[in-house]
Amino acid sequence: MTRGFRRTFKPLEIATEEDINAIHKGTLEVLWKTGVLVEHDRALQLFKKKGCSVDLDERRVRIPPAVVEDCLRKAPSIFCVKARDPRDDLVIGGDTVYFTPFPGMQTVDIKTWQPRTPTRKEYYDYIKLIDALPNVHFFTCYPYFGFKDVPEVMKIPEGIAAKIRNSTKVNLCCYANDCELFTVKMVKAIGGMEAFGAGHSAPPLSFSSEMMESFFRYLEADFPIWAGGGPVLGGTTPVTIAGSMVVTNAEMVAYVVFTQLVKPGARVMVHDYALPINMRTGAPNFGAIEAFIHQAIFNQIWRRYGVPSVATSAGLVSSKKIDFQCGYEKAFSSLIAALTGAHVIQFAGGIYGELEAHPIQALLDNDIAGMVGRFLQGAEVNNDTLALDVIGEVGPIPGHYLSQQHTREWWKKEFFFPEAADRLTLPEWLKGGKKDCLDYARNRVDEIVASHKPIPLTNAQEREMERILKEEREYYRNKGLITEQAWKAYERDLSSQGYPYA
Amino acid sequence: MSLKGFRRNIRPLELLSKEQVDDIKCGVVAVLQNTGIRFESEMALKIFKKNDCSVNFDDMRVRFPPGLVEECLRKTPSSFYFKSRNPKHDLIVGGNTTYFCAFPGMNTVDLDNGEPRRATRKENRDALIVLDALDNVHFLTPYTPYFGFDDVPPVLSIPESAAAKIRYSTKLQFSGYQKDCEVFTIEMAQAAGTEIQGMMENSPPLTFYEDAVLSAYRFAQAGFPLHITSGAVMGGTSPATIAGTLVTSIAEIVGGIVFVQLIRPGTRVVANAFVFPQNMMTGAPFFGSVGISLHTAAFNQIWRSYNIPVQSSAIGPTNAKMIDYQNCYEKTVPALTAALSGAHIIQFHGGVYGEITHHPVQSIMDDDVAGVIGRLIEGIDVTSETLALDLINEVGPIPGFYLTTAHTRTWWKHEQFVPKVADLVPYGQWQKEGKKSALDRAKERMHAILKQHKPVPLSDEQEKDVQRILDRAQKQYKEKGLL
Repeated sequence: MTRGFRRTFKPLEIATEEDINAIHKGTLEVLWKTGVLVEHDRALQLFKKKGCSVDLDERRVRIPPAVVEDCLRKAPSIFCVKARDPRDDLVIGGDTVYFTPFPGMQTVDIKTWQPRTPTRKEYYDYIKLIDALPNVHFFTCYPYFGFKDVPEVMKIPEGIAAKIRNSTKVNLCCYANDCELFTVKMVKAIGGMEAFGAGHSAPPLSFSSEMMESFFRYLEADFPIWAGGGPVLGGTTPVTIAGSMVVTNAEMVAYVVFTQLVKPGARVMVHDYALPINMRTGAPNFGAIEAFIHQAIFNQIWRRYGVPSVATSAGLVSSKKIDFQCGYEKAFSSLIAALTGAHVIQFAGGIYGELEAHPIQALLDNDIAGMVGRFLQGAEVNNDTLALDVIGEVGPIPGHYLSQQHTREWWKKEFFFPEAADRLTLPEWLKGGKKDCLDYARNRVDEIVASHKPIPLTNAQEREMERILKEEREYYRNKGLITEQAWKAYERDLSSQGYPYA
Repeated sequence: MSLKGFRRNIRPLELLSKEQVDDIKCGVVAVLQNTGIRFESEMALKIFKKNDCSVNFDDMRVRFPPGLVEECLRKTPSSFYFKSRNPKHDLIVGGNTTYFCAFPGMNTVDLDNGEPRRATRKENRDALIVLDALDNVHFLTPYTPYFGFDDVPPVLSIPESAAAKIRYSTKLQFSGYQKDCEVFTIEMAQAAGTEIQGMMENSPPLTFYEDAVLSAYRFAQAGFPLHITSGAVMGGTSPATIAGTLVTSIAEIVGGIVFVQLIRPGTRVVANAFVFPQNMMTGAPFFGSVGISLHTAAFNQIWRSYNIPVQSSAIGPTNAKMIDYQNCYEKTVPALTAALSGAHIIQFHGGVYGEITHHPVQSIMDDDVAGVIGRLIEGIDVTSETLALDLINEVGPIPGFYLTTAHTRTWWKHEQFVPKVADLVPYGQWQKEGKKSALDRAKERMHAILKQHKPVPLSDEQEKDVQRILDRAQKQYKEKGLL
């Protein structure tokens, strides 16, 4: 099992008990009075059958408080997810915090900061790197939105295949154009492993047909569910954090209700992906403190509900470079999420918005995750660590602790050392070529990619994987979702030497 | 009227359980009572002896009775007013308010190649003007922010620093000590009509040298507040364990507090941690490490339980030599944990590498980070207006939208913090505008501040007094052969 980081003190609470009560009450009122839009007939029928008020013409579902409370109680507060290698199994819930990558549409040139589509090799190498990073515990969707020559509709399936091939860490699978049908097949064919099925509401208060259909499929296949929204404060939710919390919460509660109505006891966790609107440009404001406050309160409410929560805004920054601004946007987001009790923090590798990701960023973020994890572990206070006898023995100056046995025994347990940070003194730094953390990270990424060997699939598993991918390609070709031109480029990639690895 | 600072409306982060806090406090009492602290000052030893401490004059070791310790902690005010020469910059230290303070550096630094060099008098003045202009800098650091500048002899660096701060800013300052210079800085402050915070720095483990004792004595007698600092290095001058270092660092500061309260009961004191783990690769302090955050959070929690204001000084320096990604996370993580755990003062702005370099561009970028932290600890408003249930019902699901509502126009500025130099534009616009990073914008902002900002000057008479005191300092150091 992968341990993650265990928080050893009470979570930080940004909101008072009264605030949380008010937001909860507001949630119940919105669910009962305003309701949510559900664009899926089968879902509408299910809600109706299970005691909700459903207007089939408007496709509006109003959920009574009793149904809400019953379903929140049914959702498990702690659950396991099996990985291909038991050492990567997860136990979600309680006081454990896990970190995951954060995706980006493209990779980025670290010198010019120009984004571009990655190659298949870059995609696979990135996954290999994530597999090696000790403080990144499982995968989310992507990490890039596809790679060169892959048709749009095959981006998700190829990504899932790449992750299963190059890592034993648990995977997260999203939805588009029925791809979840084949994702379920892939996961079952490999055997002995599970994956999350992910979906998003469309704020305010709306759930698309495609999303609901994918959830039916994932739930029926017993996938644990990763349910999220994407509120833009001032755009698709009220601009006030409290008001946005009500809308977001209502959507997430509706999700949980749905999952429990389909399959009582279904494993589900909810994620917050709040972004305030940038009132100058109209775009979402990545890396903004309002998002982290929103996240903190989200974590607090969902701890009260007893359902695990995910911090998704943590991986996003407004900076286009790996620089000072990127550093504080990431440091704030990850630390606040961890302190306020998120169970999963979507974090490593993302650069600007959801538009860029890079393995060097992932490695640097692995260090921040390690720092945050060390903080969560707190300070041990016992006779050994208080060290009163040692203090008495060393006394004042000229007493010194460096030569003490106690120091030799304890320093490695107490101190955390980042892998890619510059830790030299100034003269050493000047003599050593003035390397910064980016230089160290670059070297370390190259080392890992050259030497790390993920546990491969067996031949039989690989054959099954490729068979399902072929089936999926045909499915989309028959539906006209892969043009002939796109197919030709893709076919060249598929028949390249070393396929699928590059 | 005073500087607002940031009001923490959320309960502080508590790293330690009550039992852990009690264990550490017991350890502190045990060290003070059994191991003791060395005070290399005949004057201090006599004062302790007179007040029932057990004093060994041979090894200059003082052992404290627990009753006296508790009494002196009780006498220390839990919050206090601190007067500037401009009432707008007065401070109220304590309670739930957090202030930010500049962090010094020996030298300035070339932002392109990371190389340090001694600052010029003009650069020193410019750095101060920037600090005076920044909204989220509430205090000025000891030194200048630089440990001196081009032609100033070392023995005059602190008096010249203090003079520069008094001349170019009305923000309150701390002042250091060496070679009795605090005599002159106290006089300068009195002449300019401002208070000044003194320092008493312990030399770990468990030792106070004579100059620290004299500095505390002088500032206390002048009626000024003091911060008492532990500068332990875990694994070097304190135990390698965080718990053990909490015991020694707190015991050191408590020893200083007892001294100060015995000289002048009710003296305003701030307990300050400048504690780092030891970098076991190089032997230097491990700036920016998470050990700092852990010690800081626990330290702040314990001093809040003593009801004495607390300062976090180990926050400002980093291991990175340039203003980059590492620099930022090494500052942000400890600054945030300091604020969340209830620090009253966070020493932060401008420090680049260690205590070796400082730069005003760093100060400007740190000011945004401080603003973000301030926004976080202020928390959220949950009222019927902010819950906006009627509006939610009115807007409904898709295609409902909030951008065009009066509620959004009314509330967005209250809810959002907009950093001054961060890159917040979409990608296409960023490319068109020349791919500017936050660092580029901070450089532009520095030039703009230096062009436009005019600190409140001293009156002619005050200026003459300050110069007269500086001249006298120079004369006296010459007579002593120090110049």
